[in-house]
Amino acid sequence: MKGYNGLYLMGNYPTPKVFIDAARLGMEYFDFLEIGIPFSDPIADGPVIERAAMKVIADGHRVADIFKSIEKISCPSSKKIYVMTYANHIFARGNGTFARMMKSAGTSGIILPDVPSAESDRFKKEFAPFGIELIHFITPENTYEQIESIASSASGFLYCISIRGITGSRFSLESEMRKKIAHAKKFSRVPVVLGFGIRDGVTAAIALRVADGFIVGTRAIEILETGGVGKLSQFFEELAKHCM
Amino acid sequence: MNKMPTANGYFGIYGGKFVPETLVNALGELEKAYNAFRKDRAMRIELKSFLSHYAGRPTPLYYAANLSHKCGIEIFLKREDLLHTGAHKLNNTLGQGLLARFMGKKRLIAETGAGQHGVATATVAALLGMKCTVYMGNVDMKRQAPNVARMRLLGAEVVPVESGSGTLKDAINAALRDWVKNVRHTHYCIGSVVGPHPFPMIVRNFQSIIGKEARSQMYTQVGKNPDFVVGCVGGGSNAVGIFSAFLRLPKTKLIGVEAGGFGTKPGQHSARFAMGRRGILHGCITYVLQNKDCQILPVHSISAGLDYPAVGPEHAFFHDEQIVEYVRCSDSEALRGCLALSKFEGIIPALESSHAVGYVLSNRKRFKGCVVLVNLSGRGDKDMDIIAREAKL
Ligand SMILES: Cc1ncc(COP(=O)(O)O)c(C=O)c1O
Repeated sequence: MKGYNGLYLMGNYPTPKVFIDAARLGMEYFDFLEIGIPFSDPIADGPVIERAAMKVIADGHRVADIFKSIEKISCPSSKKIYVMTYANHIFARGNGTFARMMKSAGTSGIILPDVPSAESDRFKKEFAPFGIELIHFITPENTYEQIESIASSASGFLYCISIRGITGSRFSLESEMRKKIAHAKKFSRVPVVLGFGIRDGVTAAIALRVADGFIVGTRAIEILETGGVGKLSQFFEELAKHCM
Repeated sequence: MNKMPTANGYFGIYGGKFVPETLVNALGELEKAYNAFRKDRAMRIELKSFLSHYAGRPTPLYYAANLSHKCGIEIFLKREDLLHTGAHKLNNTLGQGLLARFMGKKRLIAETGAGQHGVATATVAALLGMKCTVYMGNVDMKRQAPNVARMRLLGAEVVPVESGSGTLKDAINAALRDWVKNVRHTHYCIGSVVGPHPFPMIVRNFQSIIGKEARSQMYTQVGKNPDFVVGCVGGGSNAVGIFSAFLRLPKTKLIGVEAGGFGTKPGQHSARFAMGRRGILHGCITYVLQNKDCQILPVHSISAGLDYPAVGPEHAFFHDEQIVEYVRCSDSEALRGCLALSKFEGIIPALESSHAVGYVLSNRKRFKGCVVLVNLSGRGDKDMDIIAREAKL
């Protein structure tokens, strides 16, 4: 596929085996993986990802169990794996515990949707000694000056949340946001990747026209739920066809 | 007097703004607008006028003579139960409603547990001609059904929240998600001193009128400050409201009462200070009930308004600094407090407020001969089903 694209999967969902198979398949099509570590109160997630998180927790998978699965997919691959989770997992563990788990599982960056840039310092400090990147966000609410400063200090990739909303929302792209993305690209040394609302070849192709890549999440989880890894592979083929 | 929070929204190590980037500028705008609102003479006059002529302030300070004689304690009740809509919540929603209008917002959203804050928000939306959506856990909708009907009568849309435990914390999740989507024209009227900065500060300041009145009423009626000030602590707004006028007085001890539920195992109580540890939930660093794997634990209280796994960050600060002592009152002690106040004073308190009453009555020895000011945060009409069932009426 053209661009720098990511696949979001919820760790150990629907089962560890299916998750690992789906992740390995994803590695063949995508440039990086974003793995969700479930949190009981995921305020930035829509119903699909929230339900997935609740099931993983209810099935008794602990954070350490999910890192064990991640280790299995990270070893043979050189592609980057990012962890997406919520601030409490890092803060309440403290002392670099979470960063250490990430490092030994072979992941390279972390995405924390409830940590805005104004609160990011303590997390950066916690992750830096382990060489783990904290991913920055830009949103339609950010001003051009904010985008400039967020983008110019970004590492890994810059996560562009194209809409005001949560995961699984409908895709849209205001003309103002297109301008903001272009502005971000000017200042970012890393790819600007568009997420939230990408659910098929058409939306993915639009994302690639304005940004450097896209992340697909909710739709992949839905397909995995109903059609398993087989249907997921068809979905990836369709995305690839639209993004050549 | 209040140097807290810091410019970044911290009370010591607690507080902050742990929200999606999308909300950060909205929180900044809210803080700026709030500072302008506070200085705006016309707004101050309008709020004051609504508080007295619409809401019924000042609320009385009542010497509960019968109960006092029975227990050998001088018990004074700050009668927030007499405020319009039946709880202290209206102090905050009148303030935030006017602030939202001042900011040009046309829609209010709120979370609610007991339904009191939902009703208070719906009331203000009706008063100011604004749209209103209230998120409420489906479990809470069942146990506080009269308040659901009241909100609907007032013109609000009540959205059941079925995710998670179907209680207050899940309603806050849903309200935050709504706010992320509709942040341009919607104000999130949060119901307690919780959430990201500047909410804990704004809600505290709007509720501080309880303490200001109570302190001057104590002076008039007793001629001195109370030995103890007691309030129940859900998110902590009624407690902070009354404590705010009595902070750091050498002879006045402040006591916050958490819901002890029916046991000490996870899911049986909402005692964050007794059983929780530091964490981040709903936008701030505070004490949180969580398991070893850092997942938020289910909580329980006989009162829907105390059924919350986190607590306001300023309370976390008060706890560590030992400015306030936090204690527990069990479901059955609260119920006994409710029955005693009903029977001996003819006042049916909300089950939340019954925790403050219940703690005092269950620990008579400690308070013997002392002047105790209890914040009676709300009235019990909404709880009649539960009270009737539990007390076998
Ligand atoms: C009557 C009453 N008291 C207390 C509370 C708890 O909230 P807080 O701790 O913010 O005062 C509620 C919440 O719904 C309530 O309705």
